[in-house]
This record gives sequence, C-alpha cells and structure tokens, in this order.
Amino acid sequence: MSRKIERLINLTIALLATKRYLTKKEIFSSVDGYEGSPETKERMFERDKDDLRNLGIHIEVGGFDPAFDDEAGYRITSENYQLDIGNISGSDVALLSLAAEAWRGAALDEAAQSALIKLKSIGVESDLDAIPNISPQLRTPNIDFEAISQAIAQRGVLTFTYIGRDLELQNRRVAPYAISTRKGFWYLAGLDLEKNSVRTFRLDRIDGLIQANKSSTRYEIPVDFDIVNYLENVGESEIATVDVRKGKAHLLRIHALTLVDKGEWDQMTLSYQDQSRIIESILWHGDDVLVVAPQELRNGVISALKDLVRSHV
Amino acid sequence: MSKIPQTPLSRTSRLLDLVPYVSAHQGIELKILADVFEVTSNQMVADLTTLWMCGLPGYTPLELMDLSFDSGYVTIHNAQTLSQPRNLTIEESIALLLGLDLVMQSLPDDRKDLKTMATALIDKLSLRANLPSPLRAEPENDHHIKSAILVAISSKKLMKIKYHSLYSDEITTREIQPVEIRTENLHDYVWAYCEKAQAFRSFRTDRILHCEQAHGSATLTGTTADKVSAIPYSLKIRTNKREAMERFNLSKAQMSSKTTSHAYSQEWLIRSVMASAGSSELTEPAEIRAEIAASAAQILQKYGKS
Repeated sequence: MSRKIERLINLTIALLATKRYLTKKEIFSSVDGYEGSPETKERMFERDKDDLRNLGIHIEVGGFDPAFDDEAGYRITSENYQLDIGNISGSDVALLSLAAEAWRGAALDEAAQSALIKLKSIGVESDLDAIPNISPQLRTPNIDFEAISQAIAQRGVLTFTYIGRDLELQNRRVAPYAISTRKGFWYLAGLDLEKNSVRTFRLDRIDGLIQANKSSTRYEIPVDFDIVNYLENVGESEIATVDVRKGKAHLLRIHALTLVDKGEWDQMTLSYQDQSRIIESILWHGDDVLVVAPQELRNGVISALKDLVRSHV
Repeated sequence: MSKIPQTPLSRTSRLLDLVPYVSAHQGIELKILADVFEVTSNQMVADLTTLWMCGLPGYTPLELMDLSFDSGYVTIHNAQTLSQPRNLTIEESIALLLGLDLVMQSLPDDRKDLKTMATALIDKLSLRANLPSPLRAEPENDHHIKSAILVAISSKKLMKIKYHSLYSDEITTREIQPVEIRTENLHDYVWAYCEKAQAFRSFRTDRILHCEQAHGSATLTGTTADKVSAIPYSLKIRTNKREAMERFNLSKAQMSSKTTSHAYSQEWLIRSVMASAGSSELTEPAEIRAEIAASAAQILQKYGKS
C-alpha cells in the first residue's frame, strides 16, 4: 500500500513542480515507482491519474502538437491545486472553525473537518477570543449530501423518487440549485426538468437513493436565486383575522401580526399563503380559534367541519 | 480511532494535507498532530515515514522532503512544492458554506462586525466553489435553553421551566431535574424528572419558553418510568395520504386501507384528526370518534351564530 501512496505523492510533486508538460516517457523515467513492462507502467499511470482526479486534483493535458505527432504531456498547475482564499484573519478562521464544528456527528462531518485542516494550514491562528461562545449544530439524518453536492457542483442532474400527496411515487429529474433547512426540515430547490419550472422538495420525502447524473445540456444556476426567499414566498400572502381564546393557541400567537384584546378573546391577524395549511392549524386548536375573515377562509373551515361531522357521526 | 476505513486514496489525501499543516505548525507535538488528523500516534508515525520517502524526481537527500519526528515533535523542510494547502473539494465548500450561514444567523445581534465578516467569507467561498445560489441553514432558537439544561444535568440541579405543552395547549411552570438530552426526528428533548407530575417526562427543548435554576434537588419519589397507557386507534385515510402519514407518524407499511396505530395522548389524537380537516376518519375507538363529531358540530354552531 505504501508504495502506491508514495508513487501518487511523487507524481503529484513532479507534476506540480514542472513548468512545462511532462510526457509519459519523462514521467516513467523520472518519477519513482513506475516499474515493470511498458504495459504495466501504462496501466499504473492511467489508474494513478484517475485516483488523483478522485482526490479532486485536476491534471492538465496538453503541450502536444498533432501536426508533429507529439506525445501528450501532463502537469498540475498551482492555481488549480492550491487553496486561494485571499487574506484571512484569526477571527475568520475562528468563524470557519465554528462552521465546521456545526457538523459534528452530522452528514458532512468528515468534509468539514478536512476543510478546516486545510484552512488551518494557511498558517493563521484561530482567534477564538474574538467570537462569542456559541456552538450552533446542524442536523442531517440520512441525507445523501454527496450526490446533491456533486450534482450542484458539476451542474449535473439528480434523479429520485418523490412521495406525492397521495403517496404515489413520482420519478423526478431535477437540476439542483441549492439546499436549505427550514423549520427543522431539509429542502432541495431546483429546476424540475419535466415541468420546466423551479420546484422545492423536502428531502425526507425522497424515497430511496438520489442519483447524480451528468447533464446532457448545461444549465446555469440563476445568480439571484435565493432558496429562503423562494420557500417563504411560494404564493401571494393573504391576511386572516381570527378570534383566539385567552391563554390558548400559543403556536398561532407567535405569528400574530396584530392583536386586539376583546375580553375573553383576543382578535389577531395572521399572514398565510396556503389556505389548506392554515385551516389545519385552526382546526388543531378546536374551539379556541374561530375565523372572522376572509369569508373564503371561513367557508373553508366550515366545510372541513361539516366533513368531520359527516364522517364521524 | 480512525473513523474511515483506510484506503490508499484516503491515506494519500491525508498525506498531501499533512505537508502544509506541518509546514504551518513546525515543531507540533506528534500526539497533537495525530489528534488533528483523527488517527493514532502509530498511524501518524507510519504516515510521516511514508512522506519521508517522497520528493522531487532524483530522490537524493537534496530532493526528498526532510522530516524529523523522532523527538516526539514534528518538523518538515524541503517541501515547498506541497507546502500550500490544497483547494477545497466541493463537499468541503458546501459543508463550510452551510455551517457559516448557520453561524452567521446564530451570532448575537450586537455583533454586526462578525456578521459582516461571515457574509464576506460566504461570498468568497461561494465564488471560489462556483456556487452562486446561497446555501442556507436555519438556526434553532433554543440554544441558550440547551446550554442551561447541560449545566443543570452536570450539576444535578433543579430547573424551573415555563413549558408550552402542545396537546393541552397550556403554558405551565414546572420544576424539573434534567437527566439527558435526546434527539429524535430533528428535535431535541430533555428527559427529566418532573416534580409536578412526580414522574419522568420528556420536554421538547424548543417548547421551553423560559428556564432558570431552581433551589434544591429533586425528590425523585415517583416512578422511574412514566406509566402511560397507549390508546389503540384505527383510521380510514381518504385523501392527502402523505400528510396523514407524516401527521400520525405512520410507516409505509401502516398505510393500508385500514390503518391501525397507538396514541399516547387522547388530546393529540383528537387534535390530529380535527387538523386533517376531514381527509382522515377515526374509526376506532368509538368514544373518541363520537367526541370528534360532537366537537366539530359544536364549533359549527359557533360559526352559525356569528
């Protein structure tokens, strides 16, 4: 195992140190570890190139002139290889450390820790005294971040099975834009390629594995796309006026826009986008919450109550 | 100790990252270095030994990396080619971006300076990683509550909490002795002995509205486990099946024509059926079914009057 590792490191060093492209012949004669028949060396080299690419190391191919039947050459440029994050301060490193620590025990823990090692290798010491003592944590049960992040990075396409409203399984093809948490759930936003419009998906409603595929047509992520705005503004907002019994419906009270004391009851206004969602929250509170306006919402609640009576008597 | 199984690739990756790390931390203690890379000291010695054999073509002492670690402290020289840290992989960038967004939003409001700094870092990293659309992570609001609970657990002190109990929709004040924090379905719960109930109860941390240290310690006279009896129930789910599955916390296997499950609170069951707005029908138990019908009829009357 060590021999292979040594060879990969020596190859990386040789390709990074060279200013011009190195031909395979030069590599085989100068880089330690290429032994055996020409075919063996060739196979070793092909595998090594793949391995380095899998480590995220980009090998440039070039330097040959087809007119003269020249051999292809290889090199790694320092611009591609090295981390270039400009000037960073001790406070920056402290913030980045907190960012990495937020993944402890969660999906991207390993990636976060290896990123942190790279950042700490810049040689700037973390100034922990500069930042308040907070330790926010991310939670990511069973989420396939790898497929999603690869697809976002390569502008690839994700295919997955999504559980629809009536548990029907839908096959989706999505060009992913971004991921976000909201109210304890993870969401993926992207262009649904069948529907040709932007959609959001709750990740816990994906059934089975997410596959990342190369896209046949390249797409761009809109520069001004903001997933949080998108999730918050799915439709036009309406204002509901509701009567709420004193000391009750604390879940709704948190979102009250206005509140008027009416003795035994309070009258509140609430903003909502999805009528069926707000009807659910109103009904959850039983006779502690009554809709005053708009009439359409009142009718919606009345019709749901009639359904409930009809199906339960 | 190493979390990931060793493959030649994972080791190569670690070795490539070791060179810039040691270059920036000359003379670092071997044990500390092993901890940073989350490997054993023996593994670290093996890694350093392998690196010692690497260098520029020629591989004479002039070209090989010059490592020293026999003293228990690690130094590296003659390693300029690899001395700069490697670029971040896309996963690493995504991890940092989501983490930074969470950190930025968790910073106190009076630290505008740090928020600006975090935003600048996010912009810089997004640009480098070619991720124009922001990755967002929402912070939880109960951080200070959890810190206080952890203090109470370690000091075995009583806490006074103001708690919103969802099913009865009441805010109560209780004295509890926290035992541990558990995470289930993205939420944190504190498992604690409740003086008021004289039994162990679990409280969702984000529904603890306020907490403070109380005097004294718990009496612990009650039962060690809360004896709650499960209420078996049956549902007929007409439409919005996915929503019903999530609301009633059912598995796919339970989503047959007649769904049966158990509830631990009658209040929860009634509220959940009401909130499903007629798309789910409770078929059993009959008395709760009758109560739902009566309750819905009574609310209807109120709408009729106004």
